[in-house]
Amino acid sequence: MADNGGSYRKERVDRGIKARSDSVYAIASFRDLSYLLLPRFLPLLVAFILPLIVGDYWGKVLVYAAVFGILALSWDFLASCGLFSLGQALFFGIGAYLAGAFNYYLHWPIYATIPAASVGGALLCTALLAPVMRLRGVYFAMITLVLPMLFSRLIVATKVIGGSHGITNLTPLGSRWFTIYFALLALFVCLFVFRRIMAQDYGLVLSAIRDDDRAVMSAAINIFWRKVQALFIASGVGCFAGALMCHNYQFVGPSAFALDYSLMPLAATALGGPGSFVGAVLGSAVLVPLSEALRAFGGLRIAFYCLILMACIIVLPEGIFHYMARKYHRFERMVKV
Amino acid sequence: MLSLLIYGLIQSVILVLYAYGFSLVYGISGIANFAHGGIYILGGFMTWCFMNALGLPYFLSAIFSVILMGLLGFGLYWGLLLRIRGIVLSEVVVTFVAGIAILEILAWKGLYGFYYNLPVFVKGGISLGDVAIDYQRLFALGSGIALAGLLWAFVHHTRMGLSFRGIAQDERTALSLGIESDWVGALSLAIGSSLAAVAAILVLPLGVLEANIGYDVLIYAVTVAIVGGLESGFGMIAASLIIGFGQIAVARYIGSSWMIIVPLGAIVLILAIRPSGLFGSFKELEERI
Amino acid sequence: MKKRFLLSALLLVAAGLAFSFPAQVLAGGKPIILGLPTAVNTDWGHDDINAVNLAVEEINAKGGVSVGGVKRPFKVQITDTRGMDPATPAHDALMAVEKLILQKDPHAIVVGFARSEIFMAGMDLIAKHKIPYLGSYATTHMFQKQFAKDPAKYKYLFRLSVDAIAAAKAVTDAIDTLKRQHGLQRVFFMPQDTLLSKGFNGVLKRHCENTGWQVVGWESIASDASDFSAVLTKVKESDAQMICTFWDVARGGTILLKQWSSMQVPALFVGFVVGANSPRGWEFMGEEIEYSIYTEAPIGSGIPLKKLPKTRKFVEKFIEKFGKPHGQWLTGAAYDSIYVLAQAIERAGCLDPDKVVAEVEKTDYDGVIGRIRFDDTHQVVYGTDPKESALCLAYQWQDGKQVPIYPPAVAEGKVRLPPWMKK
Repeated sequence: MADNGGSYRKERVDRGIKARSDSVYAIASFRDLSYLLLPRFLPLLVAFILPLIVGDYWGKVLVYAAVFGILALSWDFLASCGLFSLGQALFFGIGAYLAGAFNYYLHWPIYATIPAASVGGALLCTALLAPVMRLRGVYFAMITLVLPMLFSRLIVATKVIGGSHGITNLTPLGSRWFTIYFALLALFVCLFVFRRIMAQDYGLVLSAIRDDDRAVMSAAINIFWRKVQALFIASGVGCFAGALMCHNYQFVGPSAFALDYSLMPLAATALGGPGSFVGAVLGSAVLVPLSEALRAFGGLRIAFYCLILMACIIVLPEGIFHYMARKYHRFERMVKV
Repeated sequence: MLSLLIYGLIQSVILVLYAYGFSLVYGISGIANFAHGGIYILGGFMTWCFMNALGLPYFLSAIFSVILMGLLGFGLYWGLLLRIRGIVLSEVVVTFVAGIAILEILAWKGLYGFYYNLPVFVKGGISLGDVAIDYQRLFALGSGIALAGLLWAFVHHTRMGLSFRGIAQDERTALSLGIESDWVGALSLAIGSSLAAVAAILVLPLGVLEANIGYDVLIYAVTVAIVGGLESGFGMIAASLIIGFGQIAVARYIGSSWMIIVPLGAIVLILAIRPSGLFGSFKELEERI
Repeated sequence: MKKRFLLSALLLVAAGLAFSFPAQVLAGGKPIILGLPTAVNTDWGHDDINAVNLAVEEINAKGGVSVGGVKRPFKVQITDTRGMDPATPAHDALMAVEKLILQKDPHAIVVGFARSEIFMAGMDLIAKHKIPYLGSYATTHMFQKQFAKDPAKYKYLFRLSVDAIAAAKAVTDAIDTLKRQHGLQRVFFMPQDTLLSKGFNGVLKRHCENTGWQVVGWESIASDASDFSAVLTKVKESDAQMICTFWDVARGGTILLKQWSSMQVPALFVGFVVGANSPRGWEFMGEEIEYSIYTEAPIGSGIPLKKLPKTRKFVEKFIEKFGKPHGQWLTGAAYDSIYVLAQAIERAGCLDPDKVVAEVEKTDYDGVIGRIRFDDTHQVVYGTDPKESALCLAYQWQDGKQVPIYPPAVAEGKVRLPPWMKK
């Protein structure tokens, strides 16, 4: 650093209110309390009010955004464990198909199909991907990339569960209000649960696996088993999203394995900020309505997600959420060196 | 029986052509270039553009588009991957997404349907007994084999090829010997992209030039690479032979709808039995737990 | 310099906006909005949009449609459903249509859904919103079955395009001629793995079995197949002389023809192979398609029929304005659907969906595709006499031209056998 008079550096300092509210004395002051609670409650409030004021069409978009948010949360959970999946569509499709099959062939009501699809799908996906857990690096990404594409072609080729036509006329989720609020509730429950998991010791081990798995191994923890568990949870959530969507549209077809479902959670999380689950939700809340508004551009939307994703990874790797959090908690000033 | 043999061989060579650029790039620089499918189609499209929009002869268009794709690969590395080098998973995502962006933009512009066609080099064919093969397939067969030989010689006997392998084996040591890893990485991506373009020129005349084919090429390339072992040339050839013959046999005796089951089954089996691939030598990848 | 550039850019944008302002709106009378959801980036999407625009222009040029005394122009609102892209989630297409309905408030929907799975799901959507729907696209015969389940609910949906069965019947006569006059005997069926293709081929198979053909093979192939060498080898080995197929996926169709030619399979193609079955087929495919026999269903899409002046004029006008259509289907039906709608609105005297629908049911219009009348499943009646019903025809590529060979009302030539055909 030059020693002359004109040299400055940027300094980031915690805001006073953050420093104060970091300790237990926060609950003593209403101001500190609201500083902490407002960013958490405001989105919940917005999510509660929004369905009441938007019309029919945007209500559907909200459900869509919630489902994608759940899928993005599942991606983020896997990423927190060091497993980068390029194929959320696998979980989504398997969940959707299981729910559809249970409903169509066995005539189970939605209270049965959705849990069954989530758990069954989780078991299936974990069984499929467990052998890959032993490998590191790019293998998991490659396998998850290829599997949804292969599955959709498999279904078309073998003509099971409706083949290329899919199955229609499944049980709907119920009234419009129920659908929207259920999806939003599921989204926030997942968000809450995931954040709590990562804050516990269990989550600590998972993020340690991401950081340095040999270190965790040397602590005599079976990382293979932990990764499998993480995969089970994440794929269960992903299958839940698929089952939800299947009943929402009363239809499931090979398009449930479409690339859209792999790319969108990725783009949403990259945009919102990987690592913090809120980022995934935030990213979905931004991207899904945006893509609906850009519907006029047709297939170019996917190219658009791709460009956003590339830009975020290269230029803004921390994502919007971290950026916002940083601005909220700290202020920056230029300090003379 | 003869037809099974011949068509199986042709299908295998086509798979090898698909997988070549991908495997080579991964083996050499450790970058999985998921934009492979996109570059394949773009190479074919560029050839078509040069021929139809600019009126250049076929041979020249082919050469230009191969060079252009090489430059694109180089630019892809230097522009995008350089900044995230080392973060393996970001590299994967960025290349994957770049490939999709290319394919989707092409599809949006209308690379769809049957107008876009690359002509065959020479029309006509020969007959081996009861089986008729056209010259284009023979040419692809011959070129595939010749290319395999050339690349093997390049990687094992030229200085540049050896430096590539050095980077793949141990980057730090190679750096200390003066082999600049960024330059080598960019070059390997360039070569991989050129190979993709070459494959496109050889194989696309057999069918139609459509953007969606890029996804299939990527699936096959990844499948062959995984089944054979990512950085092994022999593995790639072995895997493509297995999958190619398997597909043709299945199509013949069971039904052509089942052709796609073969790659899927191959992946699942390999993962269960030998995750690092048939000839994969990344043994340190597995049984670490 | 920068300011001037900005100013000129703004002026250009303003000029562009001003010119793109539809002239119809200025013509007086609130426009009647026609929703047009289709896969815009495909050939048939383009062709159908052009056909609809042609009809709309003609009608608006005469002042528009008279609704209870007031002349109102048509206005077309296009939305891209990306429906033909197999990777598109089906609900994406449905959402696009729902957005169109909820935001643009169309008075009718034309052209309509493409893929059968979307069509079936979409039927409920249209019935829920009660909008008259004159589909000229989807060709699945599940439409009639679904309609019959609840005619009162689905009464808003009409279909002008043809289903597989009627289209197949047009080809059977050519098949008969091939047997009677040219003595062919062995046939191999190669349907695509879709309901439509299997239905089409099923009709042909029954006919062949009834008329003494020897069916040497039936193999159903997945829609996204990209290699036909195994099947074509079987065809060769079974010594088939005729290959019957219905293939509507561009990629497979092209590869099929190319491999057929390169493997030198001595069998004639009969049925429908997209790409070859197009007025531009000769440009796309080359001389390999010579002698193959395909169907145009319904008529009025690409072949200017000498015996039907109305059809010929439409096709010639279309070609003059937009060039040859890329596909061989449904432009005529799309064009006619607008006229059917216009006349129904005029008879009803208002835009109330129930009244318009009641009038559409009574349609008896001499259109480009023949005489248009709807049966009680709201499907246009197809037959062999253009004076009585709508028409499909069969044609053969001869000397680089599409020569209609059946039905006699429109035939301009006879079936010819290729020289390389073994007897």
